[in-house]
Amino acid sequence: MEILDALMAGFATAITPGNLLWALVGCALGTAVGVLPGIGPAVAVAMLLPITAKVEVTASMIFFAGIYYGAMYGGSTTSILLNTPGETASMVTAMEGNKMAKSGRAGAALATAAIGSFIAGTIATVVVTLFAPTVAEFAVKLGPPEYFMLMVLAFTTVSAVLGQSRVRGMTALFIGLAAGCIGMDQISGAARYTGGKMELLDGIDIVLVAVGLFAVAEVLYAALYEGRTKDTQNHMGRVHMTGLDWKRSIPAWLRGTAIGTPFGCIPAGGTEIPTFLSYAAEKKLAKGSNKDEFGRQGAIEGVAGPEAANNATVTAALIPLLTLGIPTSNTTAVLLGAFQNYGINPGPQLFTTSATLVWALIASLYIGNLMLLVLNLPMVGLWVKLLKIPKPQLYAGILIFATVGAYGMRQSAFDLFLLYGIGLLGVLMRRFDFPTAPVVVGMILGPLAEAQMRNAVSIGEGSWLIFLQRPMSLTLIIIVLAVLIVPRLLQRRART
Amino acid sequence: MTDPSPLDSSDISLSSEASAVPGVRLQTAVGAGVLLVAAGLAFGALSIPGDAGYGGVGPNFLPWVCALVLALCGGLLVWEARSGGYRAMAEPSGGVQADWSAAVWVSAGLLLNAALITTLGFILSCTLCYVLAVQGLRRAAGQAQARAPRTWAVDLFTGLCISAPVFWIFTQFLAINLPGLTGTGWL
Repeated sequence: MEILDALMAGFATAITPGNLLWALVGCALGTAVGVLPGIGPAVAVAMLLPITAKVEVTASMIFFAGIYYGAMYGGSTTSILLNTPGETASMVTAMEGNKMAKSGRAGAALATAAIGSFIAGTIATVVVTLFAPTVAEFAVKLGPPEYFMLMVLAFTTVSAVLGQSRVRGMTALFIGLAAGCIGMDQISGAARYTGGKMELLDGIDIVLVAVGLFAVAEVLYAALYEGRTKDTQNHMGRVHMTGLDWKRSIPAWLRGTAIGTPFGCIPAGGTEIPTFLSYAAEKKLAKGSNKDEFGRQGAIEGVAGPEAANNATVTAALIPLLTLGIPTSNTTAVLLGAFQNYGINPGPQLFTTSATLVWALIASLYIGNLMLLVLNLPMVGLWVKLLKIPKPQLYAGILIFATVGAYGMRQSAFDLFLLYGIGLLGVLMRRFDFPTAPVVVGMILGPLAEAQMRNAVSIGEGSWLIFLQRPMSLTLIIIVLAVLIVPRLLQRRART
Repeated sequence: MTDPSPLDSSDISLSSEASAVPGVRLQTAVGAGVLLVAAGLAFGALSIPGDAGYGGVGPNFLPWVCALVLALCGGLLVWEARSGGYRAMAEPSGGVQADWSAAVWVSAGLLLNAALITTLGFILSCTLCYVLAVQGLRRAAGQAQARAPRTWAVDLFTGLCISAPVFWIFTQFLAINLPGLTGTGWL
């Protein structure tokens, strides 16, 4: 009952006209950036972070959350209609969605993706509503050693499990951690790696890194390598599902949600694993002629399941973000940055100290999902028109928005030079197949993890054994080791 | 960080002509770049005080960890590059050859924007950035009309049409400080 009351109070805040408008603009903007190639939700939120200086916290978090999951809806539209693989989250959708679109069933694919996203998003929001307060209550009992180990777990999964190569993942993570060191040490106040430059004393802003690595790098990369790449687009058709489509989609949506939600809840991150698992499950469970459609004409289950899994993961990822303050993706890392701009550190206390904000945010998830269903089903034709913007103009335009984000944060032209340098690094990382998420997560979570580690060792009176002496922290160490070792053992076993 | 060094044709292909995976020499260079970063971090860490108070871990601890791990990673990357190339490389998207002239246009746009934004103001500086970047991207796409004066004029107009409203929305409605050419808040 307590939860229900809190949620109702949240709705009361979220449905004020001003907040509803922020949610609508956020959802629309999110869908737009999802549809447009070249910018994703992380960059969009990062570019708009300067508004945190003026806009009230609840309104801006509702706005950012709208962008966050609006982009998931928009992303599936592009991956179904364009024959170029987009971000990893929608890659699985593209596999079957493209095939469906090519055999004239784009409308059904778009419909099952949008409705599936809505159902999965709503169910996962219910899970967030019910479990986040419980997790927060539990998390209050965690001390610095446990927090530190949770963050190590997040680092490990983001860098070593996701992505192709462990060495390149670790390199990216430690570059992020090193970048997080730049500036004034928060415990002792010592200056680190500032080279005497005043501009660096506050550290490098997350906006610069996110916008540089994603937006500027994307534009530079496009100029360097992708000028001659021709995108082909599938014909859209009417957005409609037949009775049989519904019959095949519903179980797939539910299974996808069931697979995605737990993956979002754990501080391990990434939508790759749940979407691939969901795809594999659907392929295995399909029978007869439906099974034959996989990889040929395109099977609707192969779109419905992964799309649901994707949205469920993304929504449930708000649990570790809000209750533990641990981001597990680029976008949640930038969202954490947004909280920090307001002087709020997400964590178990958030539910007591900023209850109004949290519950308004959760309520806005329900509202936003509904808005997105309307924005994406009847109005999908409108968004598809965005794909007609020619690439040179679109990409050059992105640079203008990148300038707003980078300059608006601190009003420093130095940051614009830095932005260019980070963009070059991004090009290099992309060409040499280094993952970028570990850089962003490492940079934003690094200083927090360092503080927890130093506090933990202080509690242990200078002894590192503190991490082994506390049962919860020891368990987490074992999990981290398992995450590192088990996949390797399984691989070796599969080879012999 | 290491800047991408100019490619020569022998560097590009690893196994087959069509592969866009960077060659062994470039991979080694990136590994060496990581080693260099590690060395830089270690050098910088020398000047960070190690005073740990009663905690046992001082502000120079994490920098040293980063330096050591990056040194290890850099070493492994060099070794991987030397023994058959980076493991589990995904084929990068796009062409095999880099279009350096296009990148120069885009870079010029970005760097001039950074250099001129406080003197020219947001609108003009961003328009300049847009015009130069779009020129580079048009040339990369092989558009024949890219150099035509008409295209330049259209791009100039489009750039103004994007940056001016962006400036007004952010300064007037969201009260974000962006530099103007005049103090009026409209240019």
